[in-house]
Amino acid sequence: MDRRQLVKWLKEPLKMSNKYSLHVVYFCTGCGIIEIPPSITARWDAERFGVKPVATPRQANLFLITGYVSLKTLKPIIRTYEQMPEPKYTVALGSCPIDGGMYWDSYNTINHLDKYIPIDGYIAGCMPRPEAIFTGITHLWTLIDEGKADGYERYRERYQEYRSNQERLYGQLEWPPLYTGRDDDV
Amino acid sequence: MSKVGEEITAHFPEINTHRIDEKRVEVNTDKGYLLSLLNFLKDGGYDHLGLISCVDRMEDGVLQLVYVLSRYAQDESVPGPDPTLVVKIPLSREEPTIVSSMGVFINAEPYERELYEMFGIDFTGHPRLDPLFLERDYDIPPLRKDFDTRRYVTEEFETIPPVED
Repeated sequence: MDRRQLVKWLKEPLKMSNKYSLHVVYFCTGCGIIEIPPSITARWDAERFGVKPVATPRQANLFLITGYVSLKTLKPIIRTYEQMPEPKYTVALGSCPIDGGMYWDSYNTINHLDKYIPIDGYIAGCMPRPEAIFTGITHLWTLIDEGKADGYERYRERYQEYRSNQERLYGQLEWPPLYTGRDDDV
Repeated sequence: MSKVGEEITAHFPEINTHRIDEKRVEVNTDKGYLLSLLNFLKDGGYDHLGLISCVDRMEDGVLQLVYVLSRYAQDESVPGPDPTLVVKIPLSREEPTIVSSMGVFINAEPYERELYEMFGIDFTGHPRLDPLFLERDYDIPPLRKDFDTRRYVTEEFETIPPVED
């Protein structure tokens, strides 16, 4: 452990332990999933950074969306995101979730993922190398330190807008709203 | 001329076949012959339906269905590899209906559902023409050539407001 960070650990132990144990649920859309196996196995070994893949969204606090998002996959993405316990961070990988990338003029690809769920950071590239993923992870640490990775709080605050955007795509959604705006939302 | 092509023309004089290259034989027919042709080919050893696809030939006003058939077992009476059959059937773009081939090849089911969804081709006799891939309703089936994807994207996805800057 870095001795210079000792003060931070004593001040904010929760935030620090959160930051150094990112449990990832990968949403394997598109070509980005090809970059994930080398980054979590021995060649680059994401566990050096405390990044570890987990089986279910209930155990995860980092959500990595790896590629273009079609209408069909956006639904499970929203459901997965809503199932994750807080605090949770979202990182979109590659250029397709940013603005559609090379698939922007398709009948079935939503172009801007951040209109439907909050994104804490993007790793640009088509596709990004594993090194870029780790740069993104270390940058996410900085954001968590500074309190800027607050996507889940923004989702709670502006849930009505996110939900109305989601319903503009699908019509009525088949699951109830996550936050109702009443006091029993926790 | 290949052996299977000769067999087809001997049995169905109206159907013309020609050899595209060493490994492919093209069979041009119309939709009335579909089931009898598929049954004939299945009995003759072509027992694998590889795929059903569609080409939108908008300038001719035709949706061209393509059935790709091949053999599991080698035909011992002919030397060399057996050719793959490419059966091409034109349908009118205005009213594309054809009988479902699920009675002959059961694995036609997902292909026909997909073509129903993407090209609007109605397969009569198909038990389950439900949406397979798409989540939304489209005025024109999205893989037809007159579907303007750029306009669709601009009107549907780009007009959704961003939640934050």
